[in-house]
Amino acid sequence: MTGSPLLDVEGLTVQYETGRGPVVVLEEVSLRVREGQSLGLVGESGSGKSTLALAILGLLPPGGRIRDGRIRFRDQDLGTLSKEEMRILRGDRIGMVFQDPLSALNPALPLGLQVAEPLIYHKGMTRQAAWREAEALLAKVGIPRPAEFARAYPHQLSGGMQQRGLIAAALACRPDLVILDEPTTALDVTIEAQILDLLEDLRRSDRLSLLFISHNLGVVYRICDEVCILYAGRVLEYGPTQEVFARPRHPYTKGLLASLPRLTGRAREARLTPIPGSFPDLAAPPPGCIFHPRCPFVDPRCMQEVQRLTTDRDGRLVRCCKAEAVADLPWPAPAARETPRAVAPPGDPLVRVTDLRKEFRLGGFWSSLRMQPEAGRLLPFTWRPSQVRAVDGVSFTIAPGEVLGLVGESGCGKSTLGRCLVRLMDASDGRIVIAGRDVTTATERDLRPARRIAQIIFQNPDSSLNPRKTVGQIVGRPLTVFGLASGAERERRVGELLEMVRLPRFYASRYPHQLSGGEKQRVGIARALATAPRFIVCDEPVTALDVSVQAAILNLLADLRDSLGLAYLFIAHDLSVVAHIADRVAVMYRGAFCEVGRVDEILHPPYHPYTQSLLSAIPVPGAGAAERQRIRLRGDPGTGGEPIRGCRFHPRCPRKIGAICEEVPPPVLEIAPGHQIACHLPVEELKAMEPAVVVAG
Amino acid sequence: MPSSLVWGAGIVITVLVVASLAPLLAPYRYDAIHLADRLKPPSRTYLLGTDEFGRDVLSRTLMGARLSLFAGFLATAVSLALGVPLGLVAGYARGRLDEFIMRAMDVVMSFPPILLGLLILAVTPPTIWKTAVTVGLVYVPALMRITRSVTLGLAQEEFIQAARARGERPLYILAAEILPNAWPPIIVEGSLRITFAILLGAALSFLGMGAQPPSSDWGLMISEARPFVDGAPWIALAPGLAMCLTVVGVNLLGDGLREVLDPRIAKRGRE
Amino acid sequence: MLAYVAKRLSYIVFILVLISILIFAITQVLPGNVARMILDQYATEESLRALEKKLGLNDPLPVQYWRWASTLLGGSLGTSLIMERPIAPLLWTALERSANLAILSLISVTIVGIGLGVLAAVWHNRLADHAISVFTFLGISVPEFFWGIVLMLVFSRYLGWLPASGYAPMSEGIGKWLSHLLVPAATLTFTLIAHVSRLTRSSMLEVLQSPYVRAARAKGLPERVVLIRHALRNGLLPTITVLALDLGWLIGGIVVVETIFAFPGFGRLLIFAIQRRDLPLIQASILVVTAVYCLANLVADLLYAYFDPRIRYGRASR
Repeated sequence: MTGSPLLDVEGLTVQYETGRGPVVVLEEVSLRVREGQSLGLVGESGSGKSTLALAILGLLPPGGRIRDGRIRFRDQDLGTLSKEEMRILRGDRIGMVFQDPLSALNPALPLGLQVAEPLIYHKGMTRQAAWREAEALLAKVGIPRPAEFARAYPHQLSGGMQQRGLIAAALACRPDLVILDEPTTALDVTIEAQILDLLEDLRRSDRLSLLFISHNLGVVYRICDEVCILYAGRVLEYGPTQEVFARPRHPYTKGLLASLPRLTGRAREARLTPIPGSFPDLAAPPPGCIFHPRCPFVDPRCMQEVQRLTTDRDGRLVRCCKAEAVADLPWPAPAARETPRAVAPPGDPLVRVTDLRKEFRLGGFWSSLRMQPEAGRLLPFTWRPSQVRAVDGVSFTIAPGEVLGLVGESGCGKSTLGRCLVRLMDASDGRIVIAGRDVTTATERDLRPARRIAQIIFQNPDSSLNPRKTVGQIVGRPLTVFGLASGAERERRVGELLEMVRLPRFYASRYPHQLSGGEKQRVGIARALATAPRFIVCDEPVTALDVSVQAAILNLLADLRDSLGLAYLFIAHDLSVVAHIADRVAVMYRGAFCEVGRVDEILHPPYHPYTQSLLSAIPVPGAGAAERQRIRLRGDPGTGGEPIRGCRFHPRCPRKIGAICEEVPPPVLEIAPGHQIACHLPVEELKAMEPAVVVAG
Repeated sequence: MPSSLVWGAGIVITVLVVASLAPLLAPYRYDAIHLADRLKPPSRTYLLGTDEFGRDVLSRTLMGARLSLFAGFLATAVSLALGVPLGLVAGYARGRLDEFIMRAMDVVMSFPPILLGLLILAVTPPTIWKTAVTVGLVYVPALMRITRSVTLGLAQEEFIQAARARGERPLYILAAEILPNAWPPIIVEGSLRITFAILLGAALSFLGMGAQPPSSDWGLMISEARPFVDGAPWIALAPGLAMCLTVVGVNLLGDGLREVLDPRIAKRGRE
Repeated sequence: MLAYVAKRLSYIVFILVLISILIFAITQVLPGNVARMILDQYATEESLRALEKKLGLNDPLPVQYWRWASTLLGGSLGTSLIMERPIAPLLWTALERSANLAILSLISVTIVGIGLGVLAAVWHNRLADHAISVFTFLGISVPEFFWGIVLMLVFSRYLGWLPASGYAPMSEGIGKWLSHLLVPAATLTFTLIAHVSRLTRSSMLEVLQSPYVRAARAKGLPERVVLIRHALRNGLLPTITVLALDLGWLIGGIVVVETIFAFPGFGRLLIFAIQRRDLPLIQASILVVTAVYCLANLVADLLYAYFDPRIRYGRASR
């Protein structure tokens, strides 16, 4: 690494014009990417990381401008370049990969053309030559049958393929620097692992320099040499990745790392450490240190002095006046759980699901017509609608006070299953019994008592609350509907519920848009608790939240479980989150369970091959990550619609035996009481698998 | 407060006030004939001149405001009263009911608006109120569609799912959860429809299918003014300009409302 | 795609049948006594009964409908009550003349309307955009009949450049033919250009702010490539739909404009029929023109499906 850095951002300040006047979104941000190096830019939502990428490219939206600072690329000050010169730089010397692959691709153009475009316009290639080169690039990023895929349209490709295509387009002109803005956030974890493998290989083979933007610490740990922690538009810490993660200096970094859910078998005993408070309002930032309202080490100096980025003794950059003092202190751990876990008396399970099936018909009347000219038939059509079996024969029980985690990637049917339990969808087949009542086909009137007992919490805080109602009305409505309270009694109850979810009582008069994501999610929980339910379906309740807020909500749910004796069906796609709250876990793939067992049983071998690859794919920051086994799946989950005969996992299974996996549905092996795996592999082989994660405790 | 809203509201309110006070403001009765003063240009006695029967154009224009405006509002009210509930039901219920409603609306929408209006008015002696109701019926599908599309979007929101998980009745969900969130785009569309309604109503009157003589509906006035248009253009110009002004006002108001109620769309452009 | 086409075609047939039923219902069921409506002040007991017998109005309604429908399907459009002549030749001549107006108008609207809309979107918030906005705003606010009268005044009476009314077939010379068409067509076009350009503008603005246009810029593509290949291609797709809607407004405008300019086309024929209560003529004209409108919408839908790969190639995922 000689000479000046490839990308040198110094003192960059960017502001946006908003309805409330100019808002500074990035404040004096400085960072450097050297040749052959990769820099990770970590921040939660609202930290300004995407704005930084757009500023470097000169693509700030109208209303945004660079107020101060310099961006130098290869010693050239980008601010001095004309629009045309900047355009030439983009795509040719600097490549960009955006977050959501489907929307970054033009739906009307074939993939190959979109990859070939930079070649045509920057390198002056002819269309045919560029197309051939594009096919070669698609092969390089791991797309099978590149000639065929080059002619495909974006909507015909899966998310992983689309993202590979975008990476190919970014690499087309062999740029010096590639900026990636959350490239794997929209992808399933197994696909994410494939893409990260690809990026690592490309770094080695092409000596790529990367600016990798992400909120996912594990991913950044894998890919990046150096990391820059961004909070509310300010760089708080900056240094080599391994060291920053091993010995974080800034309190925010400590807090971030501490709030990550970890894969441990004892996780459900431990509490997660959230970062209290919420993101500052950039239009009215707090005086002094931007982080001080949430910092456990705060003292009066922090509240008055604006912090500056200083280099500490190890060459680390930290923006904290107390960095030296707190250097070796960990983020304060939360108090241990006070309420001991209520042990459920043995007896009937609260929820019993038997052989549940849910099918969706694809397409309408006309697309289900199939041409089939046959002798002896009057019309050359048959009508055969394609069905997708979202849930295909699932059975399980949940005891009172027990938490069953349901884990799977997108499209596996876990949300559908959850919704069937609370009758938001009607099951096609099977039985659902809640507290002794069969609710599978009950009428609305008969469902009433069951609805009181079984509630649901949703994923998206912005969508789960009616924007035109106050918090008090939202939380109080169930009380009215079920005739539980009215008038003053109702107000009192609402206040109690708000306190239960740790919100101040006066929030009852606020509207959802005045609340933060975490607060909205709490309101959703309070609403679910209003009827004093015994069972709650939690449909990805923390997925849409920032990591620091996730921890607080998970703690809340766990505490409520303990204090109220609630049972949950906790749906998530992240095993590490589930490990913290669940007693047992079911791993779901394309409509059926492939493994069920206690958390510690799931985390250790024997595994179902899918569980093993899921665990192996989860990016975990911390030592030992590099030595982990890489067990990768081929291809994508697919969309269903084709009938399944054998094991539904066989097209991707790295341990596929042979024809038996294709023809015969796998038997359910009982490894231990309560621990089941559906696989053709013999038990001894399963037990001999390598552990996929280094699990603490 | 966007300027279009201010101007639009200003114009509309002025026109409404003038229309309401027309009987007081008009110097003459709208049907008062002064045969001696036929086809006189604007003067101090007749501020906007007279028509072929010596009737004061100003008075007729002022009185015509009531007719045209109120007809426009009535038509829009009919469209809203029928279109919004249909749209809510179609968007929320989906399935067969939705299909049925959509097909029925498709049939109505397959007619070019004026043809449908003419069709209905051809078979019954036209009056301005029948015209207004007919125009309202013609625009029911448009309002139904926008309501349905908004409802479809809202029905996917999680707070609606939460309501269903509480076992709320569909009527409650439509009225208390969906409608309060749906009305901004509906209001915007409705304000746009008022201008269409006024214009269509005037066109039908122009063709003789609306108000009948001696009424001073603006469309009718323009139609009656046609033979005299090169000698006495003021007879046609007065109601014509009045209509332009009114429609411009309502359009501005609609644009302004859109900016206030849904800034995201307003930024993208008008319409 | 094939499935889509089949679906749309069968649907159109279904809708056309419903339309014919609706027309029949309104004209023969709504007024109550059709014969009285036709005869109006000349109605006497005798003449009423004679007319009812002549028109077969005493038969049950479905029979009457079937009679009418089967005549249509047989290829004939019926006979005019007032003129006592077959309707078909009358209607075709009138439609042909109106088509002159319509096509001239559509071409100008398409070119100018879409062009203005695209320009306004590309030069968003600059002077050109504001100027175009004012122009189109007036266009949608001024009623056609008013505008038509003004144009007629200006071009025919005051300037005397163009005739105020009537029609001349192309056989009498292109110049003469055009001179009769220009002012009516201009009247029609002005309002429609306003509508089309507004819708085009908003569609283009939406596309210009979309993520894939931003991604195209991030690839450093020249702005004209971004505009033409990425933005226009997708932004103009809704315009196809708009032009079909356009036809609906056009038809409405034609009726009004032909009345103003005494242009002997379909619009005048229809008004004539309505004033004389010529029921078969009313039914036939409205049915034919509505069918044309439906077909135009169908063509638009199919074109849209052709150009949108998501519909054309379906969801075959790999």
